[in-house]
Amino acid sequence: MNKPWARRAIGASIALVIGIAASGCSASGAASGGGVTGDGEYTGPDVNVTFWHGWTGGAAPTIVPELIQKFNAEHENITVKAVPQEWGDITAKMPLAIKAGKGPDVAVLHGDDLATYAAQNLLLDAGGILDGLGYAAEDFPKGVFDKGNFRDAQYAVPWSVTPLGLYVNKTVLAKAGITEIPTDEASYTAALEALKGAGVAGEWVDGYVFTGTFEFQSLIWQFGGDMYNEDVTEATFNSEAGVKALTWMTDMVKKGYSPANVAQDGNIKALISGETAFNWNGVWQTTNTAFDDLDWVAAPVPQIGDEKAVWSSSTHWVFPENKGQDKNKTAAASVFVKWMNDNSLGWAETGELPAANSVREDPALLEQYPNLEPFMSQLEYAHYETVSPGISEANAQITLALNQALTGKKDPKAALDDAADKANQIITQNQAKYGD
Amino acid sequence: MTDTRAIVVAPQRTSAGGRGPRPSRGKPASRRRTLTAYLFLAPFLLLFLTFVVGPAFFGIWMSLTNWSPFRDVQDFVGLQNYIDLFTPGTVTSADFWKSMSVTGIFILASVPFLVVVPLLVAILLNQRIRGATTFRTIFFAPYVLGVAVIGVIWGYILDTQSGILNHLMGLIGLPSNLPWTVDVPWVWVSLVGVTVWWTMGLNTIIFLAGLKGINTDLYEAASIDGAGTRHKFMNVTIPGLRPVMTFITTTTILASANMFGQSYLLTKGGPGTETRTVIMYIADQGLSQNNMAPAAAMSYVLFAALAIVSVLNFRLQRERVEKGAK
Repeated sequence: MNKPWARRAIGASIALVIGIAASGCSASGAASGGGVTGDGEYTGPDVNVTFWHGWTGGAAPTIVPELIQKFNAEHENITVKAVPQEWGDITAKMPLAIKAGKGPDVAVLHGDDLATYAAQNLLLDAGGILDGLGYAAEDFPKGVFDKGNFRDAQYAVPWSVTPLGLYVNKTVLAKAGITEIPTDEASYTAALEALKGAGVAGEWVDGYVFTGTFEFQSLIWQFGGDMYNEDVTEATFNSEAGVKALTWMTDMVKKGYSPANVAQDGNIKALISGETAFNWNGVWQTTNTAFDDLDWVAAPVPQIGDEKAVWSSSTHWVFPENKGQDKNKTAAASVFVKWMNDNSLGWAETGELPAANSVREDPALLEQYPNLEPFMSQLEYAHYETVSPGISEANAQITLALNQALTGKKDPKAALDDAADKANQIITQNQAKYGD
Repeated sequence: MTDTRAIVVAPQRTSAGGRGPRPSRGKPASRRRTLTAYLFLAPFLLLFLTFVVGPAFFGIWMSLTNWSPFRDVQDFVGLQNYIDLFTPGTVTSADFWKSMSVTGIFILASVPFLVVVPLLVAILLNQRIRGATTFRTIFFAPYVLGVAVIGVIWGYILDTQSGILNHLMGLIGLPSNLPWTVDVPWVWVSLVGVTVWWTMGLNTIIFLAGLKGINTDLYEAASIDGAGTRHKFMNVTIPGLRPVMTFITTTTILASANMFGQSYLLTKGGPGTETRTVIMYIADQGLSQNNMAPAAAMSYVLFAALAIVSVLNFRLQRERVEKGAK
């Protein structure tokens, strides 16, 4: 580049581009005034509220815009703009966007991500907002509200819960002459044995997050264990309960109740194609259109261990603490959250249970979506995901152990012990990374 | 048929890798032309600097800190992230080297197929056969599909219990319960097979272009000298393809080293971490777990390894060229 003219031309074009980019970054200053009245009305100046969510599949892409349009029509001074994107993209982009002051004013996150965000000071302490909206823990299923609590501050409002359930292909079950849906260890084993007699592997167990890990977690809780100790400083999924849970799963294969080497989603495919009778899967499968031609029913997961327990995931509303976050926008966003929760009956269409008790317990919900009943009945003993920053990396070790045990690489105890060692290392690393 | 073949591979070269005559140039005209060239290059250069060179240098800095996107100030930690990678027992080292070896296995298993199969297909397509254009399209077609599509299609085909492949194998009396996407060694067969099927079209087309560039007089001369098909292949085709071969092996090795989607979608890195490639691990560490500094360090170690492999590859091929010249 020995031509001064060229150098100047390139310099000028770089300057131009930077200039264009910079002019797009005008900071939004925090304005004072406005607020939320006791009855959930926003009284401040007109605002635009940006809302990020990851509902890109199923019925959501039609339901969400409809809800937002309705909300915007009902609220003169608030305009909500939704930005749908894949959950993975949200995980990758949102923290940095918030740090740069370009994040949303309100977003929906999965329960196991909340602490990771809160630990990095990316979320506003929503205690005041919740008081303003009149929300308390009793307004939601047991244990969900507390999942938004991190280091004694409340960061989130529950939106939906998605427990696991037992899906049954009744046609296949009838082949073994069984009409009663099993509810406990004895009846479940009897059904599996009868199915085996009829040449059917009754439940296909897999070693993947969907849904082997969810099944394992349900079982460990049923056997009285837990993934981590109470303050999440140590992995406990290799406890006696954990080994029992995983051994029960590997025994399914050993006893011929499940084929070996089930691929991811192999079990739900098999349920649909009539090759198996049972599948432990999430409430979201109730919307699976492939079930339309099937004689199926959903039931609570059977009680294999000593107590009733089931895995559930949850999603929550959060209010990001953008650099220079406009208080009016947050106030307006909170009105939006309350309105959405109040109008969340239709959300069941997406195969998730609305978290707000007032909506979920409305008889109209079950009238419209009768398949959700067994899932709702499990909520009193449902367990939700662990709250701790960076925990998903440690959780990945659980799936790894399952996968190794189910493919016969290690026996259940050894697999869980190794995974727990690794998880403990990760927890220590997380404490350094996020503070404790 | 013969006339269509000439159209597909546009630039006919007198010899593979040969250069056209240099344009003669006078001074003032050349200056203006250079300026114009720079102007045309500027947009690309700008993107290149912003999205390739910039991040590359930023990554070096990142790998020397305990970088976290959530802190305003980053601490310089020197080579600690690199030292951790080379110290057994740290959180990352075992997993990282495991994933490096996974990528290594994949390269060793896939590159030979990705070079040899396309070469043979290209030679076949280069014959005067009916429907050559159609076959060219058929072989190239999978390449235009995205990895997500590939993952879904093959997920159905390779399913252990309800997959089409196992079903068909059962029909002809072969084992019908092979865990194609679940257990070793079958996962490797699946990953390599899927990758070869998916990407061989590109190498085939490049080889085909190379074959068109070989002067037909050479084959004629060889025939007159009494060379058979095998000798013509060894002494005319292979030397004629040498520059193309260097290009293909290098790019194929690099492409295989970047393998991500196939194992991410088909095997989830399993069983255990047996097929978790280094790119998968780095992406998970850096983007999902926010361990950006160690992830940056890992990517530089990977870069160094690939650079060494590429240099070796070039050396090897050049030596062969020199030997061939003697």
